[in-house]
Amino acid sequence: MATNVYAYKCRRCGKVHYPYRTICKKCGENDHNEFDIVPLAKKGKLITYTHLYTLPADYETKALTLGIVELEDGNRITAQLNIQEPQIGMNVVGKVDVVRQDEYTKYLGMVFEKT
Amino acid sequence: MREVYVAGIGITSFTRLEYPLVEIAAYPGLMALRDSGIKKIDHLYVANMGSCRINHQSGLASAVVDHMSLTPAGAETIENGPASGGSAIKQGYMAVASGLHDVVMVIGAERMREVNSLDATDFVATLTHPHAEYIYGITLPSLAGMFTRLYMEKYGVTSRHLAMVAVKNQANAMDNFYAHIQQEITIEGILDSPEALTNNPYVADPLRFFDCCPVSDGGACVILATKDVLKKLEKPMIKLSGVGQATDSHAIHERKEPTDLLAVREAARQSFEMAGIKPRDVDVAELHDAFTILEIVESEEVGFFKKGEGHIALEKGVTKIGGELPINPSGGLKARGHPVGATGVAQAHEIVLQLRGEAEKRQVKNAKIGFTCNLGGFGNNVICLTFVKEEN
Repeated sequence: MATNVYAYKCRRCGKVHYPYRTICKKCGENDHNEFDIVPLAKKGKLITYTHLYTLPADYETKALTLGIVELEDGNRITAQLNIQEPQIGMNVVGKVDVVRQDEYTKYLGMVFEKT
Repeated sequence: MREVYVAGIGITSFTRLEYPLVEIAAYPGLMALRDSGIKKIDHLYVANMGSCRINHQSGLASAVVDHMSLTPAGAETIENGPASGGSAIKQGYMAVASGLHDVVMVIGAERMREVNSLDATDFVATLTHPHAEYIYGITLPSLAGMFTRLYMEKYGVTSRHLAMVAVKNQANAMDNFYAHIQQEITIEGILDSPEALTNNPYVADPLRFFDCCPVSDGGACVILATKDVLKKLEKPMIKLSGVGQATDSHAIHERKEPTDLLAVREAARQSFEMAGIKPRDVDVAELHDAFTILEIVESEEVGFFKKGEGHIALEKGVTKIGGELPINPSGGLKARGHPVGATGVAQAHEIVLQLRGEAEKRQVKNAKIGFTCNLGGFGNNVICLTFVKEEN
């Protein structure tokens, strides 16, 4: 199983984008081959979160904890949290896991826990 | 560019409608034709977000134009998420202003309750970023929940403020025959009483059931025309004076300041500048309160109140009917309902009623300038319109 979520670093100006985009938002570089694929950092701070109780059909749990994390490399990621009582500003560490599963596909993404 | 006026309006009840989407679109169109006295249009725009996905119908505008026997007028379907309605009005504005057409019909219509609520929520969640948000189980309520938590932390907004928006808008909707939610609620019932958790459970905390708009079916229509056409109709002269639109990042986490809705700020600025007015000149506004927090935030971003002070204005009653700047007299998305593609047109419908002085019990006194803010995604595509009443 994959161990990283990847971001896209502009070869011209170094700006890292997550998720992928075709034109660099900082310098305007527009050759899509001019992005290096780099792993996102795993550690970061929780910016905000929610417990979602009305879940999409693919989930069988009662609630889903979702959050936005500011990573050590300065990027942000929206992800799932495996944390009982999240708090804004807490330190978290992520690992890649199954975040959604339907009849045909397992979708992988970042799941964060307390450090 | 030519000046553009509203010649006629129409609306269906917003609720669960047991008739086909094409008819949900056609009835408000028919009402608007009757209202205006116009028999023939040059062009039809139909705003809709989900017909292909949830109603098994593509080419909606072609179906509607024929259903209404308005052929051979041109017809196009406009899909721009929950901002489809505002977008379609903007297209109509451009067609008339440019000189291409003299009379344009703009309909917004949606039939979301043909599917169950899980499918409807999933349908709206397809607006989110497919790789960076959707796969995690992110839905619009969860984005709103995370946004609300940050906003509370930063600006001191509380659950009580959110409940005040819900109570105000549901009270307004009691006087709107076409509104989906016809239920008066109290802060005690949804927040303070021992039964509050049962009455008002959490959806995406801190957001609760009464912080979220319902899933509705419904349609609305405005007919736009030139000044020459309007003069012959002897209708009140309601001018579409300002049109603004702006976009923002798709994934919310990419926004520099996740509590800002920059697209709202920019779209409103454009709309006011074009109309030549200032935000505080507005007499009545319809804002996109798909979640209660959004009414507060938008009231700041469009420039009615300073950033972080929208909830204070709410507390003081400024945004009630009878206050200095009533917001969502129709009940808003919260209580009138939110058939996604129809909402932007329904907002314009309410403002035209208000400026004409035809809003009956919910009439805002002496309303001369009206404003709408129609939000797509979670603020990634926003259309703001300014309407001004001119003396005949």
